[in-house]
Amino acid sequence: MDASFWLLQCLNAMQYSMLLFLLSIGLTVIFGLMHFVNLAHASLYMLGAYFGISVSAMTGQFWLAFMLSPIIVTCIGAVLYFTLIDRMRGAGPMNQVLVTFGLIFVILDLVRLGWGDIALGLEAPAELSHTVSFWGISYPAYRLFIIALGLVVMISMWVVLRRTQIGAMIRASVENADMAASLGINVGRLFFLVFCFGCALAGLAGVAAAPIFSATTTMGITILIPTLIVVVIGGLGSLEGAITGSLIIGFLETFGAVLLPSLSAVLTYMLLAAVLVFRPQGLIPARG
Amino acid sequence: MKSILKNLVVIGGLAVGIHMPAFADTKVGLVLPYTGTYAALGNAITEGFNMAIDEAGRSDEFTIITEDTEAKPPVGLAKARKLVLQDKVDVMVGVVSSGVLGAMRDFVHQAEVPLIVANAGNNLATGENCSPYIVRVSFSNGQINRPMGTWMAENGVKTVYTLAPDYSAGHQMISSFSAAFTAAGGEVLGSEFTPFGQTKDFGPYLANAQASGAEAIFVFYAGGGAINFVKQYGSFDIKTPLYGSGFLTSPLYVAAEGEAAIGVRASLHYIPTLETPENKAFVEAFMARYGTMPSEYSVQGYDAGLALMAAVDQGGTDSQSIAAALPKVSYVGPRGALEIDPATNNIVQNIYVYDTVMENGALTQKLIDTISSVRDDVAGCQM
Amino acid sequence: MFYQTHLRSIALILALGFLAIYASFGSYFAREIVVEITILAILAISLDFCAGFGGMVSLCHGAIMGIAAYVFTIMGVKLGWPSLPSATLGLLAAVLFSGMVGWVTARTSGIFFIMATLAFGQMAYTFFFKSRWLGGDDGMGGISRFDLSWLGLDLNDALVFALLGVGVLFLVYVVASILLRSGFGRVLCGIHSNENRMQAMGVNTAKHKALAMACSGFMAGMAGIIAAQHTLYISPELLIWTVSGEVLLVVILGGIGTLVGPVIGAIILIMMKHELSNYTDYWHMIVGVVLILAVLAGGRGVYGQIEVWLEAFFKPQAPKEPKEPTESKEKEQDLA
Repeated sequence: MDASFWLLQCLNAMQYSMLLFLLSIGLTVIFGLMHFVNLAHASLYMLGAYFGISVSAMTGQFWLAFMLSPIIVTCIGAVLYFTLIDRMRGAGPMNQVLVTFGLIFVILDLVRLGWGDIALGLEAPAELSHTVSFWGISYPAYRLFIIALGLVVMISMWVVLRRTQIGAMIRASVENADMAASLGINVGRLFFLVFCFGCALAGLAGVAAAPIFSATTTMGITILIPTLIVVVIGGLGSLEGAITGSLIIGFLETFGAVLLPSLSAVLTYMLLAAVLVFRPQGLIPARG
Repeated sequence: MKSILKNLVVIGGLAVGIHMPAFADTKVGLVLPYTGTYAALGNAITEGFNMAIDEAGRSDEFTIITEDTEAKPPVGLAKARKLVLQDKVDVMVGVVSSGVLGAMRDFVHQAEVPLIVANAGNNLATGENCSPYIVRVSFSNGQINRPMGTWMAENGVKTVYTLAPDYSAGHQMISSFSAAFTAAGGEVLGSEFTPFGQTKDFGPYLANAQASGAEAIFVFYAGGGAINFVKQYGSFDIKTPLYGSGFLTSPLYVAAEGEAAIGVRASLHYIPTLETPENKAFVEAFMARYGTMPSEYSVQGYDAGLALMAAVDQGGTDSQSIAAALPKVSYVGPRGALEIDPATNNIVQNIYVYDTVMENGALTQKLIDTISSVRDDVAGCQM
Repeated sequence: MFYQTHLRSIALILALGFLAIYASFGSYFAREIVVEITILAILAISLDFCAGFGGMVSLCHGAIMGIAAYVFTIMGVKLGWPSLPSATLGLLAAVLFSGMVGWVTARTSGIFFIMATLAFGQMAYTFFFKSRWLGGDDGMGGISRFDLSWLGLDLNDALVFALLGVGVLFLVYVVASILLRSGFGRVLCGIHSNENRMQAMGVNTAKHKALAMACSGFMAGMAGIIAAQHTLYISPELLIWTVSGEVLLVVILGGIGTLVGPVIGAIILIMMKHELSNYTDYWHMIVGVVLILAVLAGGRGVYGQIEVWLEAFFKPQAPKEPKEPTESKEKEQDLA
């Protein structure tokens, strides 16, 4: 186990962290802004994967699927927003849990009806299906692409949130929605935009993950828990929290698998419990 | 409203395949998962079973009641109790996961209603925990992997690294393989069990396997896990050849795995490309009926149907006589010559070593070798 | 604050009466369903106790039930203890585990509490899943039911067992309602509505929360003992988080903070599941739609909504019952 072995594992950890980041950032921002725990977020991730596979199968174009799938998922998200989510904002967390759990069930069976029970796969695009050699290792180009994608989203999110007017509006609304509204910010529209953006990222994560993982009807419910863990460890509602959380979980799971395989099934839960016992609001909460 | 309800009942009746025969002699309960992770397997087994009965033109003879186990042990047991105590079935067919089989085992044994196992491969079910009322027509975990261990060692592979999910079936598959492989002179350089149901990224494990310096990697994964594993193995461009339990490149999933599956060598109790007249006829009929290639799961359902009919032909009229007749069943089916070993009630069958190859633009199975009539040891089974 | 109103007593009697009649006159499978409902209903009461009145929405109640079932089985099957001491020890283990979880997580609230309990529950699940001695994921069999022949009862009779389950459900309800009306229950409700104020009044809130979880664990443990006795087989599936999730759904569906609502929620969910799965493999979708509709119809849960309607209806005739409306208002605050 030489240096190149560890470099390889670091890349694996980065790749996993970036996928977790794409999923958790949408969830955490929606929560931070709207105080809405959207458990169905993971189902949108599943839809992203399935729509990606279908578009790719119909057109033979991976990149078209890559663009189109998040858009389709966003449209579904918009419909959900107007029919359910908007009404549920003031309904209290327990009702939100019930509604979004109901949505998980409905979407699960719709996917089974539409695509069947058998797991499906998506081929990586030809230009990314080789391996790249550098510093004594060879690494799949597609995984490098995921890392790059995650970093690009991360940096642009940071720039938007910290350096633009809409970012300032979002931050103000996270801080105090009522005050932001009385300062003339159209909070309702802002909510809608952020919700759609979160859905788009979930769809993007789904289609981006499909060439690495297969698409199964249970993929939504299995990714839900790791995503929630990332969000909660990082601290709800903050970009920095989502980044920290996904990096911690990505590296913990990867190196746990390498170094402590017998414990790797519970490492994440142990960390989660430890963080919450000592820092009940997560590591980097949105509000002091 | 009433008519809607009526329609629902009719649709429901069709969906679960209740036949309304003029005279039904034998009541069969299918206990299989139709929702959850294993729904695809439950459906494949049901397809095979229904086809066997219909093909023989004997659907009037059997009343079939299906129950969904959701692949959850308590639900499976409750459904088995319902079938036996309320519907009074003569025989049950099914069980995909070993957990459900474990939950049902004592009940089936005490109720003395035969259960034809059409998937669950737990060695103990036809070993230590065997019962005269549990007959398995699918496979045992050891049966598929033991021959592969010997075969690989005899065919020039000296060292392996093994990977499997961390649950009972994973441990049984790997330990039976490793025991046979070391007995035939091979050496297991490393072995890892990945968290069950959680592991999606095999990158870290693949790097470990490669770093071990073993000549080959031997794995057991099934379903979504198999697709993930094979695709990720392919994407890392690993030079160490991949061997596995044949579920890894099952016809059900190989299309989703794509080109990464080419060259993977595995052992299984059935592949759809066997060049026997029985299999050719079966595959043709299956394609005509369902429009897809049969998988090992469809064959298990099909053979469960054939075994049941054979038992009925040998004088099986009720639970006791069917249970008595089942171990005497033997015939040549799509998988080749089959018989039930009366010492364990497990099936005796050929194991096929095959490569996944690309032919005419589609992935298919190429037979490499056949290990005939593999029989499990009587490992602590007392009928 | 909890009140055992007449309406609640009537609803409980109706629900238990329905279960008893359904078991007595129904088919064999009806009895199976009744036992399944009682197990879920006991768990739901146990969760409503700490979630609806103490604000502790736990996602480890499946694990608590499973621990009781496992300890009971280990003692009885592996070590050959008689069933009563085994069951007592199983209950004790459940109480200790949930009390420990409650104590350690006392500082967290809301989703953080949910996730912390999830973590402890999943650790327990993984422990049993990986333990080869206890059969790992294949689980353990060989359990026998209590010998109540000295009472003239044969628990191996499905009807007797179902009725006994309904009886235990009633007892658990009574215990929960007595606890909630005691001084301890009032303090618990106080902590729920304003934890800081209770602390300022000198109440050790962490201790009370841990105690509430321990009491809840005792009830969940009862469900575990019945579950093990019912299937005569246990596996780690009992502890997995989706079981706890289903319990939470039942509590909200029936009406959180009403104690009898969860019982009704359990009846609705299990009956719906079994009826629907006879007709379609896609019953999840219908259950999902029902959950969504239940919230859109008012968001107080099925029983909670009925309670509000009935009170509005009877209000003109009986103006002397002012506490109910304030209570439902308080409940809404609980949720927020």
